[in-house]
Amino acid sequence: MSDNRKEQNSIPTTKVQRSARFVKTGFKVGGNYIKHYSKKLFNPDMDKSELNEDNAADIYESLSKLKGSALKVAQMLSMDKNLLPQAYVNKFSQSQYNAPPLSGPLIVQTFKKYFGKAPGQIFDKFNLKSTNAASIGQVHEAELKGKKLAVKIQYPGVGDSISSDLKLVKPFAFRLLGMSEKELDIYMREVEERLLEETDYELEIRRSIEFSNACADLNNVVFPTYYPELSSKRIITMSWMEGQHLKEFLNTNPSQELRNRIGQALWDFYNFQQHELRAVHADPHPGNFMITPEGKLGAIDFGCIKEMPEDFYYPFFSLTSTNLFDNKEETIKAFRQLHMIHTNDTPAQIEFYYKMYKQMIGLFAKPYVSDHFDFGQTEFFDELFGFGEKVAKMPEFKQARGVKHFIYVNRTNFGLYNILHELKAEVKTDTFKPHVLLEY
Amino acid sequence: MATIEGIQKAYIDYVLTEGEQPKSVYLFAKKNKMAEEEFYRFFGSFDAIEQYTWTNIMQRTIAEIKTQEVWSQYTSREKALSFFYSFFELLKSSRSFAVYSIKKQPKGFSTPLIFTDLKEIFENFADDILKEGLESGELSDRKFFSKRYKDALWIQFVFVLTFWINDNSTGFEKTDEAIEKGVNVTFDLFERSPIDNLFEYGKFLAKNGGVKEKMGF
Repeated sequence: MSDNRKEQNSIPTTKVQRSARFVKTGFKVGGNYIKHYSKKLFNPDMDKSELNEDNAADIYESLSKLKGSALKVAQMLSMDKNLLPQAYVNKFSQSQYNAPPLSGPLIVQTFKKYFGKAPGQIFDKFNLKSTNAASIGQVHEAELKGKKLAVKIQYPGVGDSISSDLKLVKPFAFRLLGMSEKELDIYMREVEERLLEETDYELEIRRSIEFSNACADLNNVVFPTYYPELSSKRIITMSWMEGQHLKEFLNTNPSQELRNRIGQALWDFYNFQQHELRAVHADPHPGNFMITPEGKLGAIDFGCIKEMPEDFYYPFFSLTSTNLFDNKEETIKAFRQLHMIHTNDTPAQIEFYYKMYKQMIGLFAKPYVSDHFDFGQTEFFDELFGFGEKVAKMPEFKQARGVKHFIYVNRTNFGLYNILHELKAEVKTDTFKPHVLLEY
Repeated sequence: MATIEGIQKAYIDYVLTEGEQPKSVYLFAKKNKMAEEEFYRFFGSFDAIEQYTWTNIMQRTIAEIKTQEVWSQYTSREKALSFFYSFFELLKSSRSFAVYSIKKQPKGFSTPLIFTDLKEIFENFADDILKEGLESGELSDRKFFSKRYKDALWIQFVFVLTFWINDNSTGFEKTDEAIEKGVNVTFDLFERSPIDNLFEYGKFLAKNGGVKEKMGF
């Protein structure tokens, strides 16, 4: 953990304060441009990467001070690497592990409030300096009866600020992502719903126990033990999981075999949930996973669960089967059900969107088509990102299309693909197959 | 045999049940089966009981936070935060009394009589932690102003107290936020800031003026 990160003592919570934060960023970013162009006067060869880096640093700094949902959005943005220049991605990826912590006295206060005791009286040992930030909370190391524990504490007032936060992020986000406002609106509401669920630690601990039990039989996937009696509305206590984050793990230069094993565990973990539980851990950013010294995948943080209703699950995942995909009429029916083709579209539009979406889903479904898939190959990702870029420039895709469920399901699956790509893992993809309906 | 705590408890119970002070010490003593002079052995008046109660909470808070293991590692800022949180946590158990006692005070700028001792203890405490901060360099030593830092903390204290009295959020979470933000803003102002640098730059320019002419601009 670096020593130079600023200990943070306040989250700007009122809307005015938060807006001010964004305005400040705006100035700083503007300043970076001035800096860039003045330097360029003397050195015409300079490329924009330094500028991007400066901008990313400032945007990240302001977002990480906002904490909460703004940081969540930063994390979401960093998931989709093709949408942002590399410098932004590196800075934003930081937000997945390290954000500045809150003051010690507030931690003590939170404990006193929910347990009537200071953390030092509940645990044998408690480290007041947090080891990790979890975007709406922070993680502390503790010990009880010789057992090492991880204690996650939520910042006060997070729930209150989510809605106003998202409104603030909106203009910022649609400039960065080039989305239309209407399109964002549908999704923002979905995001708000999920984020509000994430602030409910009582719900999270119920789900954590539920999911870790349901997934207990999966190979090479491990979960921490949860302690409901040491948890409350704002505090979650679980056993400490030793291990490395993805980046640290990759730096150790692991063998192909080990990378495949971790990749397989990830694939199984996600596809078992998607196709058997129909509800999925929808936060696949690398910070939520640990690679244990035994070479197993540790999954933490069940704060964000996306449930998939039948009327979304079947039309969407059936499209991953070639049998349905070859049947144009049924495919269009499925597209209609998913609101990817609207009822008032002209025949020309239907044809256009049919072709584009078919190509898009065809790409997405590639790993499902054969019984195994090599996520290490860059061609697949180049194709995927290239297609994404092409679509992003098309005026036809400026308007809102697709049901709201896509945002988290896409985020989950592309997040999964991204991690597997970083792992360069070769994965057996027929372990948990999608359930398919052939007619609509 | 009457004790300080016994009288205090009986008095608080009375005012919270009746919503007002007893008519006289005589009546109060009679009701609690003790001689009037026994009352005066401990308190000079009813207001003195309230004053004692407030002072007592303040003393207990300061004693309690100082026993915390982490206390010595805290910065001045954290010590102040810790004080605020603990004070309002302790006060929670006497909230009805606190609301009663504060609401009957006349509105005005002077410190109410019942708070005089509390204020003195608070200022001594604030002085101590501020001095530590000034010595360690955490806070900026400014002419004239650094002596007034403790007044700023007192204003902060009165503000949070009023905020807490009117706070109706679950678990007084809003008060926690008010503390976290308010105390931090106050300490941000105590710390070295761009204003100090600007001021010093101005001083430098005044002393080394005429640079512009010499360089021929």
